[in-house]
Order: sequence, then C-alpha cells, then structure tokens
Amino acid sequence: MARGGEDRNQRKGTWQPYAMLAPGMLWLLLFFLVPMLILLRYALSEPTDRFSGKYELTFRFANFTDAIGDFGSQFLRSFAYAGIATVLCIVLGYPLAYFIATKGGRYKNLLLGLVVVPFFTSYLVRTIAWTTIMGDNGPLLAISDGLSLTGLLDALKITTNGGMLQTQTAVIGGLTYNFLPFMVLPIYVSLEKIDLRLLDAAKDLYSTPRRAFWKVIFPLSLPGVFAGTLLTFIPASGDFVNAQFLGGPNQQMIGNVIQNQFFKLNDFATAAALSFVLMFIITVAVLVYARLFGTDELSV
Amino acid sequence: MNRQRVRTVQQAINRRQFLGRGAMFGGAVMLSPALLAACGSDDDDKPGSSSTSAGRSSTGDLLVSNWPLYIDPTEDGVTGSIDLFKEASGIDVTYNEDYNDNNEFFAKIQPDLAAGNAIEPDIIAPTFWLVARLISLGWLDKLPLDLIPNAANLVSSLQKPSWDPTGEYSLPWQSGMTGIAYNIDVTGRELDSVDDLFDPAFKGKIGMLTEMRDTLGLTLLSVGKDPNTITFDDAADAFDKLEKAKNDGQIRQFTGNDYQDDLIAGNFAACVAWSGDVAQLALDTPSLRFVIPDEGGMQWSDCMVIPKGADSIVEAAKFMDYVYDPVNAARIAAYVGYNSPVAGVQDELRASDDPAVAALADSALMFPDDATLGRLKVFKSLSDDEEAQFDERFSSITTG
Repeated sequence: MARGGEDRNQRKGTWQPYAMLAPGMLWLLLFFLVPMLILLRYALSEPTDRFSGKYELTFRFANFTDAIGDFGSQFLRSFAYAGIATVLCIVLGYPLAYFIATKGGRYKNLLLGLVVVPFFTSYLVRTIAWTTIMGDNGPLLAISDGLSLTGLLDALKITTNGGMLQTQTAVIGGLTYNFLPFMVLPIYVSLEKIDLRLLDAAKDLYSTPRRAFWKVIFPLSLPGVFAGTLLTFIPASGDFVNAQFLGGPNQQMIGNVIQNQFFKLNDFATAAALSFVLMFIITVAVLVYARLFGTDELSV
Repeated sequence: MNRQRVRTVQQAINRRQFLGRGAMFGGAVMLSPALLAACGSDDDDKPGSSSTSAGRSSTGDLLVSNWPLYIDPTEDGVTGSIDLFKEASGIDVTYNEDYNDNNEFFAKIQPDLAAGNAIEPDIIAPTFWLVARLISLGWLDKLPLDLIPNAANLVSSLQKPSWDPTGEYSLPWQSGMTGIAYNIDVTGRELDSVDDLFDPAFKGKIGMLTEMRDTLGLTLLSVGKDPNTITFDDAADAFDKLEKAKNDGQIRQFTGNDYQDDLIAGNFAACVAWSGDVAQLALDTPSLRFVIPDEGGMQWSDCMVIPKGADSIVEAAKFMDYVYDPVNAARIAAYVGYNSPVAGVQDELRASDDPAVAALADSALMFPDDATLGRLKVFKSLSDDEEAQFDERFSSITTG
C-alpha cells in the first residue's frame, strides 16, 4: 500500500485529490454552509414588524435562551421519544440483521430487499397508513380487544383509555417503524464483514456459542450499531411527521414546534434559534456517545 | 376551511379524503418559503402584459388558487364550472387547489408580496380575517367592479363587511358556519352545547380545529364571552379552558380539514366542524350530525381577492362575474354545500329538475333561518399586536 501511494504521488500532481473533493465541497458550501449562515443570522435577529418579513441583526442571544425556556418540555420529549425508538430499533433490528447475515443463505438478498421495501413508498404514506392501523376501529385494537388484552395494555400505558392513535405509543412506534431499516442495514454490513471462522476459533478455545457471540461477534459489530444509532437517533429527534399524524397535542415534538414557528407564526428568529439549539444538543450528544463507545474505527 | 360536494358517491369521498391528506402533506413537507413558492403553480410563463382599452393588464390567461374541492369538477360525464367557464369565455384558466391553510398560504406568499413582487395567482381565496390583513398591508389590488356587473348579486348581509369596509377589495366565494359535528353512534346522545366537547365522557375522542377563530370562538361562547368584541385579557378564561382540556387528554387532536377522516373512522366522537362538510358527509354516514350549539356558532367567509400586481385583472373580473351569476353560483353551491353569497341561488336550486338538487333549497345548513343566523358570531378583526398575542397563546396549546 505504501509503495503504491508513493508511486501515485510521484506520478501525479497533488491537485487531484482536491479536484475530486471540489464538487462535494462546493455542494456543501452552497447548500449547507451558506443556508446555515443565513439561518444563524435569523437566529440572532429580531423582526422589524410582524409581516414585513424583514429581520434586523441585533445579536439577540436571548433568542436561544427563550427557545430553551419556552420549549424545554418539547426538547426533552423529542429526545426521550427518539432515544426509546433508537433502543427499540436496536432490539428489533440487531437480531434481524444477525439472522440475515448468518442464516440468510441464498435468500440474503431477498431478505435485505424486504427490509428496504418500505422505502418504495413515501415516508408520509407509510406514516398515514399507521393512522388506519392504529385507529379506534382499526385492526390493531380489534385484535387486542378480541384477545381481551386492552385492559392490560391500558395498565401498561401502551394504550390510553383503550385507544392507541394519538398516544406516546403511537409516536414512538411510528418512529421505530420508520427508522428501523436505517438500523438494520449498517448492522448487517458490519456483521457481514465478520469472518465466521472466528466463531470456529472461539469454539476451538472451548467458548460456548453465547460467550462467542458476546466476546467476538458483538464487539466486532459495534461500528454498525454506532452508525445505526446515529442514523436513527438524529433524524428521529428532529422528526415532526410521526408526531403530527400519530400524536396528539400532548405528544408534539420539537420539529413540530419549529415547523409551526416558521410556517404558522412567521417567527423566523425563534424558529432559527430553535433549530440551532436542536443541532447543538444533538452534536454534543453524539460527541459524548462517540467518546463513551471509544471506537476509533467508525468508518462504516 | 374545507369543502366538499353535496352529492357524492363513495369513490368521490375516497378521492376527497386522499386529496385532503395530500394537502396536509404538502404543508408538512415544504421546508422553505422558496420551496413553497416554487410549488405554487406549474404555470410559470407569464407573457409580457398587454393593456386593454380599460388600461388594465391582461395576458389572456388566468390562474386561480382556491381551497381543495371548493368547486364542482368535471367528472362522471358532467362538465364542471371551470370547463364551462373556459368554453363560455375562451379564457385559459388554470385552477389550482393549493390553498390548504390560511397561515401556511400567507407564509408562502409573504416573501414576494413584502418585497413588492407579484405572486403568480391572479385570484386567491383567503378567509375573511386574512383578507383584512392583506388589505391593511396593502398587498391587494382593488377589484375592477365595473367589469363585474354580477357583483350586484352579492347578498346584502355581506356587502361592505367588517373585513373590507368599502367592499372594494373582496367578493365572498362561500360563507359557512362553525359548529359541532358528532357521531351519534359514538356519543350515544344528541349534543347541543359547546360544553359537550369538554364532557369527560368523551375524553380523548374530541377534535378541534387548528383554525384559531373557530376553536377559540366556540370556547369563548361557552364561557359567555363575545368573540366579536373580545380582547386578549378577556380571552384568558377560554384559553385556560382549552389548555386544561388539552393537558387532561380531552382533546385528541387539533386538525385541519382532515377532521372528517377521524369523524368517519369513529376516532372523534365530536369535533369543531364546518357546516358544508357535515351536510355532505351525513349523506353517506347518517350517524353524523351537525349542530350550532346553544351558546352560538361562528360565521366566516372565504373571499376572492386579487393580489397586488396580478397581471390578468380583466380575466379575473370575468371569472368573478361568471361565478356570481346565480345559475353558476347554484351549481357550485350544490356541490360544496356551504352558504352561497350570491342572491338567487336558493331559487335556482329549487327550480332544478333533479329532485336531490331541488331539495337542497330547503337545507337548513345551506340556507339557515334568521333564528340560526342570529346566533352566529364573526370573530373580531384583531390588530397586529393583538393577533400575535392570540396566535402565540393558541399555538402554545396546539403544539403542547
């Protein structure tokens, strides 16, 4: 590898890596960095009046503290919902990915295809479908009523007053459902890469299958879990679709608040400040998470 | 405020529900005003304007943005009003059903109008309070009333209304009533009071509208306040009542026009609703009822206006004149089931050969009697500062 690298550097100029980077960098500059700066400007501004659409840059940092003060409960709720949904995705997705990777055999591609099939439908349509499934006269409650389980589900707070739509369960369930493929695929990729002869080696060293899994397979699949967690938690935290359709007024997430501030109240300053607070908290959370897991080779 | 047809087949319901949802997606997924503006219409090419003899601009084509399913379409072999207008006038009209929510539509057009640029539609149909705001911002052109002789057919009660005191800027498209819709199969009893919406027996089964003036208006009436003269301080009781109901889980959902889906599905036992919707839904779901509660109901109008700088004024006038002809107005009213602002519609309906249409002339929801009208209130025209206070408090309740 080192030899090839030297050759390449001698033969070709050093500008080529930059040339390859340029389109991506230009894209990020134009469609990420510039909008971000515009948003930051809004976040530090005050509207000159309600409907003029003009904002004066007054470096009003109170926009940020106001955002946290007024909408703290929605922030907490968003992270709680996203956190629970992420854990559920791991619990549901890991065994699935493990099964496909190790036992899938010639059906591997078919099974992976089935995981991805929901993406063939619009995110919104999938979410709306759950309103029918979980509705008061929908199949889910009909089954639980038929099995006389609704009382138990009520006691477990899975249903509320015998209803499921417009409850926490519905929103967290929707998030879990919608983001599950983002958990399954990276875990599958990292499991796929593991040399199964390592299991034979563990067996040769008198390990039980369970011990071999926890000592060998699981640690090697952690990069996939880490990537899956990020791909699930970050978008779930900012999601507003599930809360809008599956939640009620007591289940609104921070994404709903931001959307409302932008498109109903025309308060760009508060909406922009909320967006930055959300990004900041997620960034810190991810950094802490990365540090705790301490895996350097997270290049999945 | 959503619309529907009075005479329907199940297929049409499904289509409407689908469109209603689609409308919500549209609002939900659009993330920037620029994107919103970009989605406004596919009719981008506006040829350079030419002047008519009257000195008014004209391009020969017309773009109308109205609420979904607020006009009779061409379907099942019946030609709808838009196509009939095209035939009669020769004007190439593009009719978009992209007006889904007042606040959202305002957010969409605001950047252009605030910057002094024209927006694409030549006619839009905001609800009365937004008309007042657009007039005060100076974002509307006066209607060329001399080109709209049929404007004389406007019913007297809507002439020079509070939101347009000179009557120069707006012509009502449809008016309607806000009351309570309920599914008697779920409630098990008739409802007659706003307080029925706060009855703990219906906990988690109550729907309210995101349209503040409707939801808050009824709540104000229930605490004995007049929505027509309300101040922010006076509204505190009603806001508290709503907030408590929200916190208690009494209110299942704040919705837009998709409340119909929840009502039909039985997710809502009762909800704040618009009269035309229920008039029509009840045809297919006889257990649905609509009542103006004892405390009173709200009355509103969606009005045709011409945004500042629109370039097809003459065509817009012809369109308004067309829909203010009682024959055409009756055809539209029969489809949407709301209160037509055009005088003579009731007679036109009664004269219909189709008994189902003729029966509409006696519909209490389309032609409410004086006693009912006397119990309706129009929400006060709020000043900017007041409105900001109301909106902020209301949204703090709807987005918990």
